[in-house]
Amino acid sequence: MTAWPSGGEISMMRTTRVGAVAAAAGAVLALTSCGGGGITGDSGSGGGDTGDIVLGMVTPLSGSSAAIGPYMKNGAQLAVNEANEAGGVIGRQVKLVAEDGACDPKTAAAAAAKLVTAGTNVSVGGYCSSATLPTLSIFGKANIPMIIPAANSNDLLKDQHKNVFLLNGTGAQQAQAALDFMKKSGAKAIALVDDNTSYSKDITTRTAEDAKGDSALKVVSRESVTAGESDYSAAVTAILRANPDFVYWTGYYQEGGLLIKQLRAAGYKGDVMVADGSVDKQLITIAGKDNAQGVFATMTQTPQTIPGGDAWIAKYKKAFNADPGPYSTQSYDAVRVAVEAIKNAGSTDGTKVITALQAIDGFPIFSGKLKFTPEHTLSEGGFDILVVKGDGFVLNK
Amino acid sequence: MSDEPLRGSTPEDPSGFVRAVDERGAATVGTVGGGLTPTGRKGGNPVSRVVGHPLFGWLVIAVAVALPFVNSSAYAIRISTDALIFIMLAVGLNVVVGYCGLLDLGYAAFFAIGAYTSGVLSTTFGWPILATIPFVVIAAVIGGLLIGGPTLRLRSDYLAIVTLGFGEIIRITANNLDFTGGPNGVFGIPDFGDFGLRSDIATYWVVVVVVGLAVLASSRLGRGRLGRAWRFVREDEDAAEAMGIHTYKVKFAAYVTGAIFGGLAGVLFAVHQTAISPPSFNFLWSALILMAVVLGGMGSTPGVVIGAIIISLLPELLRGAENWRYLIFGVLLIVVMIFRPQGIWPHRVEEKPDRGRRRRSSPEPEEVAR
Repeated sequence: MTAWPSGGEISMMRTTRVGAVAAAAGAVLALTSCGGGGITGDSGSGGGDTGDIVLGMVTPLSGSSAAIGPYMKNGAQLAVNEANEAGGVIGRQVKLVAEDGACDPKTAAAAAAKLVTAGTNVSVGGYCSSATLPTLSIFGKANIPMIIPAANSNDLLKDQHKNVFLLNGTGAQQAQAALDFMKKSGAKAIALVDDNTSYSKDITTRTAEDAKGDSALKVVSRESVTAGESDYSAAVTAILRANPDFVYWTGYYQEGGLLIKQLRAAGYKGDVMVADGSVDKQLITIAGKDNAQGVFATMTQTPQTIPGGDAWIAKYKKAFNADPGPYSTQSYDAVRVAVEAIKNAGSTDGTKVITALQAIDGFPIFSGKLKFTPEHTLSEGGFDILVVKGDGFVLNK
Repeated sequence: MSDEPLRGSTPEDPSGFVRAVDERGAATVGTVGGGLTPTGRKGGNPVSRVVGHPLFGWLVIAVAVALPFVNSSAYAIRISTDALIFIMLAVGLNVVVGYCGLLDLGYAAFFAIGAYTSGVLSTTFGWPILATIPFVVIAAVIGGLLIGGPTLRLRSDYLAIVTLGFGEIIRITANNLDFTGGPNGVFGIPDFGDFGLRSDIATYWVVVVVVGLAVLASSRLGRGRLGRAWRFVREDEDAAEAMGIHTYKVKFAAYVTGAIFGGLAGVLFAVHQTAISPPSFNFLWSALILMAVVLGGMGSTPGVVIGAIIISLLPELLRGAENWRYLIFGVLLIVVMIFRPQGIWPHRVEEKPDRGRRRRSSPEPEEVAR
């Protein structure tokens, strides 16, 4: 081995090492501007008591689900505009701040912290369940009520955060709606396919559990595919081997479109149904228009499917020069519910708003009359069955 | 690949990584050829004189500790904690990649093992977080032994492929097992306690202390007897073996040390996030940690710390760019690597030998080192 390093060398090494830590801390500091708040107690009640009421939204604006972000943001913005045109609420204007959660837990958590720092009064975001979970405690500690428009995993409720309200039907409700339709359509052998994400697996697991006690139909195959692949022939072969007459896909539209295409190409003739994550025109494009015809879907009510929804779509188009998409309506409703609760509470104090949210009864939203269950979910799931006809999804009659 | 072959690299292993390692090997040969690096601090650059001052480091550690007094906003604390955890991962991987030259593309696996062990023990079994730490270390060591045992006999690219597979195996296993919560992951993970402070600030200070110690430990490891053995193995494994170093054992030590760092960082991550799920441990993470090491300067603790800060904070600073965020991030990284291929703060002993003195003693090493 070599000789021992000389004293000077050691000293130099030491200084570089310490310098590193130094630079580290320096950069961290440099990044932050001035900030307020004490270092003890709560992180405060988020927003201030004067000035604009801030509604914060964590939504995917980049990454694999980036398409959804603008739909949610615009839907919420529409409701915010309406509230402001009506003179605001409790004498204050409403402001929407959207931050990118990228459907990634770490990014979403940072986005949530940023929203808390920006003085959010009520959170109206949350799309991917796994990315929404870490934000619960961040908003919770700041005592900020969360009205979650899209994320609907039952895990969001397991810790019973008192500030969390789900505005979307839960996996359990969707599974029930799916099963009811399968029975109605006379399906005997069902194949359940998910993409192994929190949301998707929740629905297949619940559907399988609900189907257990049923003699009319049987789950013959359960498959999990990996999202983001381009070839699902292994899954398709496994599904066809079980010889089902009804396939239920609970993942997102990209994989769903491919799956439908490959199922049809392999000669599958039975029914296919998809869950709400796949209800997007892209599904039809990816699967091919012919393959997608007659594909069913479980979906929360949308303006396209409810009476009187056309006027809302026209309003949305006028404001953003784009069509509304998945979760536009839920986000719109989330803002309206938030505004209603603040109005009833007469304040933006988190605790008072939460109490007001719990007390809401019969407030009209797209999925019906709103009343939260004691678990803070919708009392009515409001799932419709849609079917692909031509280039889009229409209500199945 | 079409560049003229560098000294020491054979045409059979054209990977850029191997070349980078070889290149530095050549640089060291140059240094050794010119005698020991001259003593004394460099004069020259005023920036490095200030940054190089012994007290400067302690000053800024104090600044890191003082951050909550300057800016206690939830966002600042959050991303600073994220950055610190990332620093811990980077210095851990630096032991494996930087010191020992083992290319590990699945480092997030140890991070996941740590986070899951701690998360499952603390939620399913209700243990306090501190009590889970010994088991996290044990789990990380077992993980390191399992994967390192058979694979450390491989070299360079082969090892990279095996570790890449390992990283994915851990993530997919976590996605499919019931006790890890499947795709939902583990949530409701408790914190260290709030010590009468705001809980995120309490966590921040705990993380500052742990990461500070980790950086210190990693840096000292690199300077000890073992550290020199690691560098020797990195520069030339056959020569090291010929000189009596048990290369397999030494590589094993590096790998397991890296695993422990990763596991402990996983604990901090689990506590900080309160909810962990498989997507948090995908290949991108392994790649980003490796990027932090390479960007900062392989084998240089200060460089790696800076690299980690950049990789961790840049995406946050680019938040306004929305969909363009990762494109800009990627372009910036490419630009840095074009202009600083040796890293932002490379290992000085090899990088910048005192030119004046070397020129006097022997001119050839300059040639070699280039």
